[in-house]
Amino acid sequence: MSSILEDLESKIQGIQSASTTKTNVGLVREIGDGVARIEGLSGAMLNEMLEFPGGLYGIALNLEETEVGAIILGDYTKVREGDEVKTTGRLLEVPVGKGLLGRVVDALGQPIDGKGPIQSDTNYPVEKIAPGIIRRKSVSQPVQTGIMAIDAMIPVGRGQRELIIGDRATGKTTIAVDTMINQANANKAAEAAGTPGYRPLYSIYVAVGQKNANIARVVKTLEEHDALKYTIIVSASASDSATNQYIAPFAGASMGEWFMDNGMDALIVYDDLSKHAVAYRQVSLLLKRPSGREAYPGDVFYLHSRLLERSARVGEQYGNGSVTALPIIETQAGDVSAYIPTNVISITDGQIYLETDLFYQGIRPAVSVGLSVSRVGSAAQIKAMKQVAGKIKGDLAQFRELAAFAQFGSDLDARTKATLDRGQRIVELFKQPQYSPMAVELQAAVLFAMQQGYVDAIPVDRVKEFQTRLQEFLTTRKAELLAKILAKGAFDKELEAETKTALDEFKNLFK
Amino acid sequence: MKISKEARRFARELFTLSLTNGRLDAGKSKSLTDQLVAEKPRSYAQILREYARLARLELERRHATIDSATSLDGAETEKLRQDIASRFGADVTIEFRTRPELLGGLRIQVGSDVWDGTVSNRLHLLSQQL
Repeated sequence: MSSILEDLESKIQGIQSASTTKTNVGLVREIGDGVARIEGLSGAMLNEMLEFPGGLYGIALNLEETEVGAIILGDYTKVREGDEVKTTGRLLEVPVGKGLLGRVVDALGQPIDGKGPIQSDTNYPVEKIAPGIIRRKSVSQPVQTGIMAIDAMIPVGRGQRELIIGDRATGKTTIAVDTMINQANANKAAEAAGTPGYRPLYSIYVAVGQKNANIARVVKTLEEHDALKYTIIVSASASDSATNQYIAPFAGASMGEWFMDNGMDALIVYDDLSKHAVAYRQVSLLLKRPSGREAYPGDVFYLHSRLLERSARVGEQYGNGSVTALPIIETQAGDVSAYIPTNVISITDGQIYLETDLFYQGIRPAVSVGLSVSRVGSAAQIKAMKQVAGKIKGDLAQFRELAAFAQFGSDLDARTKATLDRGQRIVELFKQPQYSPMAVELQAAVLFAMQQGYVDAIPVDRVKEFQTRLQEFLTTRKAELLAKILAKGAFDKELEAETKTALDEFKNLFK
Repeated sequence: MKISKEARRFARELFTLSLTNGRLDAGKSKSLTDQLVAEKPRSYAQILREYARLARLELERRHATIDSATSLDGAETEKLRQDIASRFGADVTIEFRTRPELLGGLRIQVGSDVWDGTVSNRLHLLSQQL
């Protein structure tokens, strides 16, 4: 028997040593605007990488009867008519892993920050099928954005997709950057304290169609706050090709999935998906795909739904990791009923709506309470926050409705007046400067003071001062209490009494 | 020249008519195109152009190109002819070419499928791996 096997082994060896490779080739018939039409390539597969001369690659997107339409990654001006194109049998892949943290990479995962090559031995395909229903688990752990208005009223959970939507210059990117800084702060604090069972949250910032200056500013901000070491920046700026802008969010999602598959948590910011849709529209139109509403192709919904479906929380036996997505959409003149905004609103698990009016009134972050929701995040909110913030959203919504009456001043009944007073103070409390996220225990303590009426006696114009000094007082003199709130995660009788004592002490100090 | 959708459709129909058992029939092709030129239907030049493209693609599919660094002797070419005929059918046309830049080995292309066993290809693959 062994002789038969040996014979077979030697035969197999003989076949393998023959170094003839079978490929499929075609000729470039048309090239322009980053899109090539290739004759031949009868064996090309959808989304397969194609090799052009000079080490250029493309992706086969249109398989037609006699031609293949491909988009080119890189400098398409080097491709000439009549060039030979080969199939590779591979899908587009990007490097993944912890080696990317602290780096700025392009849409293909190649470094563009001049810090040397990426240390990574794993690659993930850019397009991957999202985890199915068996592998998923419902959202149960919080993502602390560090922005009090969001953590109190529109909480986000790990594995959730929460849209940040608003007009230009309303602070969309700022919310995302604040969140990333807050994760870095929490990670650093937990590392220093050696908290058992702490799950660090790594951030991925995908810039699509952004100005290079803006991307550089985000990188610099993260560096200044020492948050870059927990962050991967994927950059496909406005000067990159439409192909790269189309690929970038998927590449970022693959990098996030690596963390999820390996039992870690990741947060991805897609900044922004309106420009992604525009890049995809360009590619589709050049490929001569039929256009639909606003000239977007028919599958622009699928483009975003398959991307955002890849954010998930998976069960224990599948790694127990998660990918949280914060897609950003820019609206034109507050029109949320435009095509792309409605698409993404319907895909995501809620939205944070930012309003220009609020922004110019000085209410920053300019979160609109009425239009912002979080469909799954409340399940992930820590108990202490639920206890203190439970009614705030309702109070604030009532206040906004009654705010119009505030002009009439004295002609109000006592109850309306109380609602207005409270509302004005909540609004003041929720104002927060950019790049200064607050730890959750501090948020809980401040909101506790609000709930227990400590703020009611303070004149509205001094609420901010009261809050700043209270925070100072708590962090410098009552650090133990804050640590206790964080550890317990809920206000019980004892903790309530202790917090009240601390607040009383502060009240006497505050003049 | 832009070829209209109607011309494309017409050319495709014409092309289907000129097939016998899935292969392009020279006689049918000639008579059909002769008739087309004689009758001159609307945009017949476009139709003819598209038809020529389809015919060219079909012929390329049934055409084998064998590239080698040095010219092959009679026995070798005969063996290759037989191999290709047994694998792809007797109607495949074969063309032998000498390309010194391949350095050694053979590159066989049938339609758009390529079997590349040349030294230059191996070097190329090696350089990619590095």
